[in-house]
Amino acid sequence: MCSTQANLTRYLPDEAESWSTERDQVYTPETLYSYIDGGAELYLSYDFRQMLNRVYSTPGQPDLQVDLFDMGTSYNAFGVFSHSRESVDTTFGQGSQYVPGLLLFWKDRYYVSILASPETAESKTAMHRIAATIDQRILSTGPLPDILGMLPGDSLLPGSIRYFHHHIWLNSYYYVTESNILDIDETTDAILAQYGSGGRYRYLLLVGYPDTSRASAALDNFLRHYLPEGGESSIIQIEDGTFTGCQVTGRYFAAVLGARKAAAVHHLLTGIQAAVPQE
Amino acid sequence: MDKRVYTRRDFLKHTVVAAAAGSIYMHLPARLVGGRTPGTRVVLIRHEEVLDSLNRPKAPVIQQMLDEAVTALLNVSDPLTAWKSLISPDDVVGVKTNSWNYLPTPDVLNAAIRQRVLDAGVPEKSVSVRDRGVRNDPVFQNATALINVRPLRSHHWAGVGTLIKNYIIFTPQPSAYHADACADLASIWKQPALAGKTRLNILVMLTPLFHGIGPHHYSPRYVWPYQGLLVGRDPVAVDSTGVRILQAKRQIFFGDHRPLNPPPKHIFLADTRHRLGTAEPAKINLIRLGWQDDVLI
Repeated sequence: MCSTQANLTRYLPDEAESWSTERDQVYTPETLYSYIDGGAELYLSYDFRQMLNRVYSTPGQPDLQVDLFDMGTSYNAFGVFSHSRESVDTTFGQGSQYVPGLLLFWKDRYYVSILASPETAESKTAMHRIAATIDQRILSTGPLPDILGMLPGDSLLPGSIRYFHHHIWLNSYYYVTESNILDIDETTDAILAQYGSGGRYRYLLLVGYPDTSRASAALDNFLRHYLPEGGESSIIQIEDGTFTGCQVTGRYFAAVLGARKAAAVHHLLTGIQAAVPQE
Repeated sequence: MDKRVYTRRDFLKHTVVAAAAGSIYMHLPARLVGGRTPGTRVVLIRHEEVLDSLNRPKAPVIQQMLDEAVTALLNVSDPLTAWKSLISPDDVVGVKTNSWNYLPTPDVLNAAIRQRVLDAGVPEKSVSVRDRGVRNDPVFQNATALINVRPLRSHHWAGVGTLIKNYIIFTPQPSAYHADACADLASIWKQPALAGKTRLNILVMLTPLFHGIGPHHYSPRYVWPYQGLLVGRDPVAVDSTGVRILQAKRQIFFGDHRPLNPPPKHIFLADTRHRLGTAEPAKINLIRLGWQDDVLI
């Protein structure tokens, strides 16, 4: 067993309920495709380091697939977890999500997936037992990205927050463009959050750049490609009747998308202006 | 020179591209882009009794649905006539399925297709039904006809797993097509070993996966018993229609117009860049058969 495998193995129990370890396999950025062909890119876009897959088996029950991802930093573990969560739940780790047959959580630099398909009453109990053990064995916690603290809280749907470094996740809620007009990459922190209720949502995009010049360039590019009739801090009604606005404050670019009222755009942008730290 | 940037606003402004792109990227209804004219035929057939209590398809009902759909697609009087117009006894037929663990092409559907190929007069030795290993399968290597069948599902990097995408396994290095959200998957269909050979496309809509989470991109929570098949000669038209249904389900489930992400641009580009077929709803003649409750399109 190599040292990296041993490092991850220590977090996983040897057995849970009647399930016992069937086999282990470690995957790296070079081999992750062979495990989740077509799905590896999501993890690679969050700077994935390595993953331990352990299969637990017991007669008459579905196998349990446990995947323990080392994402390098807590920011990226949170990011990949945030990619699909729908509500805020801290039953396990620093955030967890359970849907039938699948339990996901993150803690420190680790992202954990436990899958039982199909789920049975017994496998559900075993899934939760394994999650609790991993949670206990990862002793440390990790910080959340600072940029999350800048989101205005009024009408925010906390479970909707997405954190990412790859431009393709810009369209998670609301299609804008598939081109990287905002120059989002591994050096930037981007978050997308949903505001509102009852199916009437607006979306706040906030991108933090290493310096003000890149933030200004992003604003120029966004205006050129998306709001050519607008200027800095202007609010435009686009063709679907919704309002869009954008601004740069320091090294942060912010845009509000899909708002039904111009005042809602102004409210969120003002909130960002107040939250951006003086540097 | 700047690479052309397409945005939401372009698709809203320009009806020329809005029909396909709007429906694929943003779930815009087809009516926004003008009247419908008959064109590429796609058959949607659904049956209220096709699934058992565990969502497993029933063989007799699947056979009936397949027969009705193919007969309607080709506008003939009976299934055998339809299949004989698709496949000749001299053909060597590869039925390209999909074996993804959580949502494979159902065995009973594979069996139903195989039976009709045999009924068309093709000898058993000239028919192969498989997914993995097609590159080393003598029947697929010598195939004169292909039938493409797979379930529709959301997909991590392509937006959706489609009929167009189902041929990626014919390439020696599938990951070579993963760039730019699998934008150019349709180019695979133009390779000499595949070009012009596909006689029928069947998108399985029995229990589509409309959303995926976690490394396996699967939870039973995100499948629903739609109980349908989409059948057509044009894979782009069938995929485009399937995506509209998937988007409609996502709107109902999530309560907003949440787009598939990444956008399934490979369908749009299969039309506009690779000319494999039409993704434009206005050019698709959708024929609805069977159960119509919650049809979503």
